[in-house]
Amino acid sequence: MTQIIRTEWLKIKNYPAFWWVFGITALTYPGINYLFLYAYHDIASQKSTAGQVLKALMGNPFSLPEGWRTMAFFSSFFIYIPSIVVIMLITNEYTYRTNRQNIIDGWSRKNFMTAKMIDVLLLSAIVTILYAFVALLIGLSNTNIDAPGKWNLTYYIGLFFLQTLCQLSIAFTVGMLLRKAFIALAIFTFYSIIVETIAVNVLHFKYNSEAGRFFPMEVSDRLLTKPVFLGKIDEAAYQQSLDAVKYHVVYSICLLILTWLFCFWLNNRRDL
Amino acid sequence: MRNEKPTITLHHKVLFMNTNKNVASSVLSLNAITKSYGPVQALKGVSFDVPEGSVFGILGPNGSGKTTLLSIILDVLKANKGNFLWFGHPGSKEQRKKIGSLLETPNFYHYLSAVNNLKITQSISGRGTMEDIDAVLKKVRLYERRNSRFSTFSLGMKQRLAIAAALLGDPRVLVFDEPTNGLDPVGIAEIRQLIIELRNTGHTIIMASHLLDEVEKVCTHAAILRTGELLTTGRVDEILVDDDVVELSASDLNALAEVLKQLSQHVVVDGEMNTVQVTFSKGTAKLDEINSFCFQKGIVLNHLILKKKRLETRFFELTNN
Repeated sequence: MTQIIRTEWLKIKNYPAFWWVFGITALTYPGINYLFLYAYHDIASQKSTAGQVLKALMGNPFSLPEGWRTMAFFSSFFIYIPSIVVIMLITNEYTYRTNRQNIIDGWSRKNFMTAKMIDVLLLSAIVTILYAFVALLIGLSNTNIDAPGKWNLTYYIGLFFLQTLCQLSIAFTVGMLLRKAFIALAIFTFYSIIVETIAVNVLHFKYNSEAGRFFPMEVSDRLLTKPVFLGKIDEAAYQQSLDAVKYHVVYSICLLILTWLFCFWLNNRRDL
Repeated sequence: MRNEKPTITLHHKVLFMNTNKNVASSVLSLNAITKSYGPVQALKGVSFDVPEGSVFGILGPNGSGKTTLLSIILDVLKANKGNFLWFGHPGSKEQRKKIGSLLETPNFYHYLSAVNNLKITQSISGRGTMEDIDAVLKKVRLYERRNSRFSTFSLGMKQRLAIAAALLGDPRVLVFDEPTNGLDPVGIAEIRQLIIELRNTGHTIIMASHLLDEVEKVCTHAAILRTGELLTTGRVDEILVDDDVVELSASDLNALAEVLKQLSQHVVVDGEMNTVQVTFSKGTAKLDEINSFCFQKGIVLNHLILKKKRLETRFFELTNN
């Protein structure tokens, strides 16, 4: 295992494109949360009646413990940036045909896939740490020192990790299937943002069906619920989405296992 | 007529005297390997053994299945039928680690330098050390460019880096697929010399090539493929020899031809080259006896050689090209 991690590190550590995208990822997560934070402070600082009503309605979504949920939700919008890294890491192997060279040099196909799975796991962990760090920093600066229950929603760190891992694993699968970085990224983004969103909403609004929650991205999308202030629009529906999280944890884990079983099976089956 | 002894020259030297190696045991055994790509059958039940210490050439025209065969033994492709054994055991990653390989094109990370690419080879295979990486880069004349990115290399440099990766840690078995691809004449000569050195130090080399001259110069054994079928395999000198063709000359060619007809029915006078060619069954031509026979018949030879066919001729005969 150490040898696999070492080899992957050798591939990554001198890869400029990786560090560029990684740097953008590292800037994006604090960036998006600070953007919403400033928007909130801007609204909250307005002396007008509308501003004060809005402030009363929203509370402070960035104070802890609610900040864990709010910032997990906003951060999850940017899954597409680390997914570029994941797609690059697998499609590069096909572009340079180094996947076959790794096997020739003495890895088994299982070793190769394990290495890639570790990449996705580590990247998910790094993105999660980044989210947790930003949430902690913004959260603490928006929370009274003696405020009770600051750590109540820290399980959102786990949920965020699970969602990131699931969605990056899907990005990996798309990269592995299509082998070309640009095509894989285009299809992954197009499917996630457009196809699945339309399909889920059509099923929900036109056919009154909740089958959309089992779509690949939607399964883990429902792990991170909206911030409470957005839930106030339809409180019953919001409560329902909170109650469904535990089921989606199980569905997401099942999807994760299926995704990687498929990747290992495919890699084992096809000629290199 | 001067009673001078004829000059016996070996037209084709036996280059491949590799008797100091234990050639009895097989490094690689192929057993009825079959591979199809849809309706196209790339390999049709190919079987042969690669003896230890040999330089084994796999020959064939384009599309004959050479690279497919090497890809199967390196686990890049899966055979539909048949099996292969490395050192008497089914192929495994542990065995591949001990084999230095260059398959088809040099496959490296374009954004990494030569030395960083070799670090990956070293990390996966466990072959060699940092000092060995420097040594192999020097051996293939890439040391000065060791910190340059692979993407900046010429085709020849990429090929040399692939050879360096194969040589890392001095593996006892090497697999080369068209090792001189993209190299300039100096590079080709260097690689040829390198293969001869490796052969002389007891390495086993399995080499696919369509450059017959290259194979003829360095290989001890060969297998010839055509459209996925194995046409022949064995020692190169055995493959080359079909019938024994003896070329002779004397001052009176017609008299010589008449005398030789008592030894063989296949006697041809080549007036242009001023020689007579006599064909004997494989392995039956004895030059000293022929010389003695002619001398007894009053003909003094001034030229007597056992001609071997060039591999090129034999290859075209076998592949019907």
